[in-house]
Amino acid sequence: MVPEAALVMGALFVLTFDLAFGRRRTLERRLYLAVINGTAAVVAAMYGAFSSGLADSVFGGVLILDELTMATRLGVLVLAWITLTLAGSTARFSHPAEFVAIVLFATAGFTLMAAAQQLLVAFVALELASLSLYILAGFDKSKPESAEAALKYFLFGGMSAAFLLFGFSLIYGLTGSIELHEISAHLAGHPPTPLLSVALVMVLVAFGFKAAAAPFHLWAPDVYEGAPVSSAALIASASKLAGLTLFVRLLWPGFGPGAGNVSTAAGAPGWLAIVACLSAASLLLGNFAALAQSNLRRLLAYSAIAHAGVMLLGVIAAGDAGNGPLFYYVFTYGIATVGAFGVIAVIERTTPCQRITDLAGLYRRSPLLTGCLAIYILSLAGMPPLAGFFGKFIVFAAALKLGGLAGPAGWLAILAIFLSAVALYYYLVILKQALVVAPAAAISGDTVTNRITVPADAAIVLVFAALILVVLGLSPSLVLRIF
Amino acid sequence: MSLSAQYLWIIPALPLVAAAIGALTPRSGRSLVAGAAIVALVLSFFISCAALSTALANPAAHLTHNFIWFELGNDTVRLGWLLDPLTAFMCTMVTFVGTLIFVFSLGYMQGDENFKQFFCFLSLFAAAMLGLLVANSLLLVFICWELVGLASYLLIGFWFHKPAAAAAAKKAFITTRIGDLGFLLGLLWLYDSAGSLLLYDNGNGVLEATVLGALGSAATVCGLSVASAIGLLLFCGAVGKSGQFPLHVWLPDAMEGPTPVSALIHAATMVAAGVFLMARVYPLLTPDALQVIAIIGAITALLGATIAVAQYDLKRILAFSTVSQLGYMMLAIGVGAPSAAIFHLLTHAFFKALLFLGAGSVIHAAHHEQDIRQLGGLSVKMKLTFSTFAIGTMALVGVPLFFSGFWSKEAILHAAHATAGSHFPFYAALVGVVLTAFYNTRLMAETFFGHARSHAAEHAHENSAVMTTPLVILAFFAIALGFLGTPAYPWLQARLSGETAVHGHSLLDGVGLLVLSSVLVAVGIGAGFTLYGRTRRLRTKATAPDPLAIAAPRTHAFLGDRLKFDELYAATFGVVNTLLATASDWFDRYVWGGIVHFFALLGEFSGTVNREADEQGLNGGFDATSETLRATGQAYSRAQTGDAHGYLRFLAIGFVVLALVAMLGGVA
Repeated sequence: MVPEAALVMGALFVLTFDLAFGRRRTLERRLYLAVINGTAAVVAAMYGAFSSGLADSVFGGVLILDELTMATRLGVLVLAWITLTLAGSTARFSHPAEFVAIVLFATAGFTLMAAAQQLLVAFVALELASLSLYILAGFDKSKPESAEAALKYFLFGGMSAAFLLFGFSLIYGLTGSIELHEISAHLAGHPPTPLLSVALVMVLVAFGFKAAAAPFHLWAPDVYEGAPVSSAALIASASKLAGLTLFVRLLWPGFGPGAGNVSTAAGAPGWLAIVACLSAASLLLGNFAALAQSNLRRLLAYSAIAHAGVMLLGVIAAGDAGNGPLFYYVFTYGIATVGAFGVIAVIERTTPCQRITDLAGLYRRSPLLTGCLAIYILSLAGMPPLAGFFGKFIVFAAALKLGGLAGPAGWLAILAIFLSAVALYYYLVILKQALVVAPAAAISGDTVTNRITVPADAAIVLVFAALILVVLGLSPSLVLRIF
Repeated sequence: MSLSAQYLWIIPALPLVAAAIGALTPRSGRSLVAGAAIVALVLSFFISCAALSTALANPAAHLTHNFIWFELGNDTVRLGWLLDPLTAFMCTMVTFVGTLIFVFSLGYMQGDENFKQFFCFLSLFAAAMLGLLVANSLLLVFICWELVGLASYLLIGFWFHKPAAAAAAKKAFITTRIGDLGFLLGLLWLYDSAGSLLLYDNGNGVLEATVLGALGSAATVCGLSVASAIGLLLFCGAVGKSGQFPLHVWLPDAMEGPTPVSALIHAATMVAAGVFLMARVYPLLTPDALQVIAIIGAITALLGATIAVAQYDLKRILAFSTVSQLGYMMLAIGVGAPSAAIFHLLTHAFFKALLFLGAGSVIHAAHHEQDIRQLGGLSVKMKLTFSTFAIGTMALVGVPLFFSGFWSKEAILHAAHATAGSHFPFYAALVGVVLTAFYNTRLMAETFFGHARSHAAEHAHENSAVMTTPLVILAFFAIALGFLGTPAYPWLQARLSGETAVHGHSLLDGVGLLVLSSVLVAVGIGAGFTLYGRTRRLRTKATAPDPLAIAAPRTHAFLGDRLKFDELYAATFGVVNTLLATASDWFDRYVWGGIVHFFALLGEFSGTVNREADEQGLNGGFDATSETLRATGQAYSRAQTGDAHGYLRFLAIGFVVLALVAMLGGVA
């Protein structure tokens, strides 16, 4: 519990520090100080997560410290650190310390989600993270879009939380326990009932919401578009990583006996079939809808939906191949997304960056941003030798290993491979604007003011994120050998 | 000083860092980039020296450090570093010669506006070459091999605004790629039969007894054993990279690059990579494969020397002499003397770098005039360049006793004479000796003696110290290096073959051959001097015809056209290729293009449908509703309800559908 304690203490410290010393300072200064304090908390949490060691059950079995927990905790902390640093140099809020504190609370929720192995703790952790994220989405009170995004996110999230809780209570009723081990043991000993199916589908609805999988994706484009950039970055990256870890732990160790089989066409029924449906729907809808976008952030949202499809495929494969491929994929996706949002945030300091065409001529305005953006986007598109390629590769390989082309898992992998080609198109549209198209006439007139100055701390984290993608792409075993 | 194989990666890593600095520095950072490149290479040189002393302490050992690159299922792909005398000698040579050439480039490229880029590419090249040398995995060798090819492409085409340079770069890249295809196939085949690409791996590497035994017992394919076939495929790569017949055509054209590049890449180091590779995988090569290698080497040696006789371009003559000398090295490997080949490689690297840098010095002084008919009389004006160039030439020709080239060539001739196989390579090598002496005498006489025959040659003057100092250092080694491997005390060969004791024998043992080759050199020099040295002393015009052209005009012209190899390739492979390309283009444009367009339209269509459904039907519907609501100033809570309905209805529908799927599936 050291990481959570560090984060919560850090959040409280940020608030008190701001109350005590921040009143007379400018907003920028207060944000800067808050980010420094927040970063210290994140670093302390990283140390805690790193040194906690492995243990099967903590606090009477409600938490577990295994390799997945450790990797996810470190992963979300890295993502949170990047988000915080970017926020520190780009965001303009009227309550900076509160923003940082809530990011830390959300991160505490994420790390708790990574470790939970009991239904109630899982739910509480999820809600801690979700409630913080609702607030973050609506943090920019000067913009109506932000409020709209927050409201939609909240309504959708609240509804899916209700489904989740209902599903949990049904499962408790059916199995008599909220411990994952006991649920698993009970499910293994009893044949599945229709009521259990309904309960599982309810859990999966919440999962679909968290992962932005179709048809529970509707919030994503609005939130990505309307929320402040740093909040959107957190929602798109760390929240996804923690969510995937939580649900993959619920699904395989908890409800594993009810999984069924999708490696052959006539496999046993179970929740895997539902996940496969969600995956197929997300892949198709995400990739095709992204083609028609002209708003950069909405495009990223639809690309997130498409990526969610691949992640669900990774969840299907996790039963056999372990959590390694899935974690690698989600983590590298998170890094690339957070980086892309970071680039948007830095650009927005000088000029608005909503439409894809706002990127035109970026290579003249800031070569550094263009280079980093190219790496993030190409990684999202799955270009070798970047991490995105290798992530796709191992997930597809794991899915194909389940039963070759004999069953839905293999078909899904093939579908995803074909759709990657489609995806390449819309990613390249972004890069074409950034790299090829000349700056818009109104902008190109005045070349001096048009250069984008990148704050040093933002530049460092952006380059760091790009480096992670390159290094992990070249040497994936750095991550994979943890599992 | 000793160096663990674990840290061998630092040798290529340093120039790589320098290349990265070069790539990231703006164009104005000239001294920073050049300084980084030179410092990195000097440091690499020191580390190489440490590696050399480690390797020499125990020459029979192959120190390795292997590590896992990544794992795929049950397959692990491993890479590693290898330290043995071969690696260590080569690394020391490359870093040393490379440093001198880098320094020379400071002067030669001074006026070039892309000075910074030049040093960036040079560092990249050095990194790739050194990576190739320290690799303990054929896969890593191949990666670095291709990087070397890339760097060579960038450097040959460095003056890309000259169409000839751009074309030469393309030609070099494509021609060597043809060889690389063979290399890659050999690599895959080897991986398939041996299950590993590590060279040495505690008894399981491809060059170690277990695998070699397994390969030897493998089935035969069309009369060739698998081991021979793999060896020959690997040799294809070496043929391309080392400019062997029939893929030698790119090397002379590569002289379009700046002269330091010619010196570094196309004389001293990169073209030697093929020879190095063959020496490295020597245990894999079967007698059949060796026979082929020896014959190809002999043909190349003879061919290069013959064509060089009728060339007029200073650098082109040197290029053909490189082709010829590389032929000698391959020949040595083919007749079973890889240590002689490496000995010649090392001495050749020094004297050929010296010759190219000397040529660069001449060209720089003569305002980029490189036609030997336009030069002449430079011996007085450029004394230092002249004397060092003369030392280089004598080393290349093999003037007896005092010059390194003599001893290394002698080692090759001995091996070729002693071989059990065909004696064709031996006789070819002897003829090559005469021709080499002849055309080099011609080159010296035309360039340095007689009258200056052009304005540029008349006003030439000696270059600055930054360019001449490397010449002097290289000249010293062009002489001294020979004494590392004389027959009386063949220290270098012994170390390369992993022996600690040196078994020398009296010089008189092979004295017949020694005398014979000395006589042949004398004949060549004499003929050259008679034709070009004496009669031409009075010649003052550049237009006077070549004496050989008067004697046999048709043959001379044919040789001058480089035996029409380019034309032959253009008329055969070129035409076939063009036809194939046209057909593929048509197919691509109309068949595949049509299909792709169709799917693109389909994709676009469904994307639009999706978006319409999503944005208009749900999102748009809500947006429109809330807009109206806002406009009419209704209560926010009512906008709220609209919102919830639009989205949450969808969520509920999704849940119901999925629940049905689950339950129906459960029933089934």
